[in-house]
Amino acid sequence: MEAEVIKAELVLTTHMSFKRIQMYEKYPKGQSKVRWKQLKQILQAENCQNYSPDEPNYVNIESPPSMQPCKRICDITGFEAPYHDPRTNLRYANADVFKLVRSLPNEYVQRYLALRKAAVVLR
Amino acid sequence: KDGLAICPGFTTTHVIPFVDGEPVYKGCCRTNIGGYHITDYLKQLLSLKYPHHMARFTWEKVEDLKMEHCYIAADYALEAQLFQKGGKEAEDKTRCWQLPWVPLPTEEPPSEEEIARKAAIRERQGQRLREMAEAKRSSRINELENQLHGLEFLLQQLGQVQEEDIPSFLSETGYASRQEIELTLTKVTQSLRKAKGEPKPEQAENEEKADSCTSDKYPLINVPDNMLTPDQLKEKKRQIFLKTTTEGRQRAKQKRVEEELEQERKTQQDEERRLENPQLYLEQMHTKYKELYEKIELRKRLKTNGGHTNGSNSGGVGRGERLNAAQRERMRLLTTAAFDRGKGEDTFGAKDEDWQLYKLMGKDNDDDDDGADEDEAELARVSSRLQDIDPTFVPKLEPTASQPTITEVPHVRPLTKEDFQIVLGVERFRCPEILFHPNLAGIDQVGLDEMTGVSIRRLPSKDKALENRLTSSVFMTGGCSLFPGINERLEAGIRMLRPCGSPIKVARALDPVLDAWRGASLYAANSRFHQQTFSRADYYEKGEDWLRRYQVQYTL
Repeated sequence: MEAEVIKAELVLTTHMSFKRIQMYEKYPKGQSKVRWKQLKQILQAENCQNYSPDEPNYVNIESPPSMQPCKRICDITGFEAPYHDPRTNLRYANADVFKLVRSLPNEYVQRYLALRKAAVVLR
Repeated sequence: KDGLAICPGFTTTHVIPFVDGEPVYKGCCRTNIGGYHITDYLKQLLSLKYPHHMARFTWEKVEDLKMEHCYIAADYALEAQLFQKGGKEAEDKTRCWQLPWVPLPTEEPPSEEEIARKAAIRERQGQRLREMAEAKRSSRINELENQLHGLEFLLQQLGQVQEEDIPSFLSETGYASRQEIELTLTKVTQSLRKAKGEPKPEQAENEEKADSCTSDKYPLINVPDNMLTPDQLKEKKRQIFLKTTTEGRQRAKQKRVEEELEQERKTQQDEERRLENPQLYLEQMHTKYKELYEKIELRKRLKTNGGHTNGSNSGGVGRGERLNAAQRERMRLLTTAAFDRGKGEDTFGAKDEDWQLYKLMGKDNDDDDDGADEDEAELARVSSRLQDIDPTFVPKLEPTASQPTITEVPHVRPLTKEDFQIVLGVERFRCPEILFHPNLAGIDQVGLDEMTGVSIRRLPSKDKALENRLTSSVFMTGGCSLFPGINERLEAGIRMLRPCGSPIKVARALDPVLDAWRGASLYAANSRFHQQTFSRADYYEKGEDWLRRYQVQYTL
């Protein structure tokens, strides 16, 4: 491994002194065949319905929706946006931004909405 | 001993209160917003704002940008207003990233040798062409002269031959009569003269001669009708027709010449006006351009009745055509014509006048189109004029092809350095804001400051003093706590939730990124660690779902 690559901290070192069995011994072919479990899988495996609702567990302690009024900022510029375009469902700050909003092609409109998770998802 | 641990991490943010060194699990709170979401938000925003440079915004690069430039504003609304006003402070806070850009190599004005060389080449080519033309001309002249000589000789011979022998003599040569020979002779002399390149007045003379010839050729026109035979009448009609057509042609030519003169005069006047007062002239041109453009736009819009709107009404064009004023008129005409007749019988078309209806309808449409063409021609002329005299003028693109500046760089002018600059202004503090307001990213949960409130609410024991103790030692750790300004913001946020005057103190870890790892390593290095593990034998015996609760204690 070249010195620059090690210094750049882009790749893991091949030999780690604290391990008893090194990575290259476990997976000789090169690519590590480890498949880490996704969070969803772990949560499903845990089967939280069986636990009593009193005891805190991972799913239990999730935070509730916000009590404060929703902050409305313009989707494009980021300023305070009191206005809302009924056709495209975007929020905009003033007339210039509105012109921009109206002239956007549909793809961009959907992407802006996707930032807010307000895009129309066709399944 | 008591406090709140707040950890905004990579994918989640946790708030864990601990009392007497032990974490109170019931009071924990987790929001699914972290550094990952902030980077993603920034990446999407930049890609949407600069679609041309989308390839530049890799995940790693954007994360670097975030770590270097993003900060948390003490008050989002104030900062946003500051940027909206666009004053000097906003300028100071805006960072600009210049992408590597190579200016197009401008064509150097050709040096003198280049010019001379090109001129010489052109000269040689011209010379060659001229020689070829000369050769052709001289050969043609020779031919014509030969023909001329031949014809003259023939005429001479004809003069010598007797009257009776003329037909037989002529049949040999192939000409029908003496007049024909003379005609061909004159024609050949004319073309010879033209080929020799005699000046124009000669041609005008020829034309005049041609005119007088024609008046001679139409001798029958002036003769009154009753004196002519039917054959001669037919001949007369033909001659009248020929004369009127030639006269018409001449008149058209004259009109054209006059129009050209008129145009010349107008352009000269224009030039004078421009030189007198360039600024005023420019403004006038601009207003004219705008008016014409708007007129055309309006007409186009009426035609399709707003069919250009964002593609969202798919049936819009069809509906537009039906509702158009001209179309409505047509329908009205047709229906009235159909119902005008008596009941039961449809006699539309029996009379000739009925078909005039279609002419009316057709005319309505045509007028529209003609007017539009004129306007468009005028517009084109004005815009080309403007382009010539005004360096900053950019002709407006066609409405069907018009795109906002964020999706298309106008190709009329060459790309400049500014096109390759990525400006981070509002995005700098807009992106980390989602830590405090996950609604901005669409996630319906509480933000960082409210989470402390939620966590304290969830504590099993409601003790004012305890709460005060908790808030007076708030510990920030985790990668996202490295944003500048987060401490103050959090403090302000907690103050909003707590009763007035409660002690609040926020402290940050020395190395937030590796803090959790260090804590765990200390925990594992502790001598008592072995008591808190269970062995393999236990695992085999009791199965994998068996848990043992340990007391995780935090000691100073």
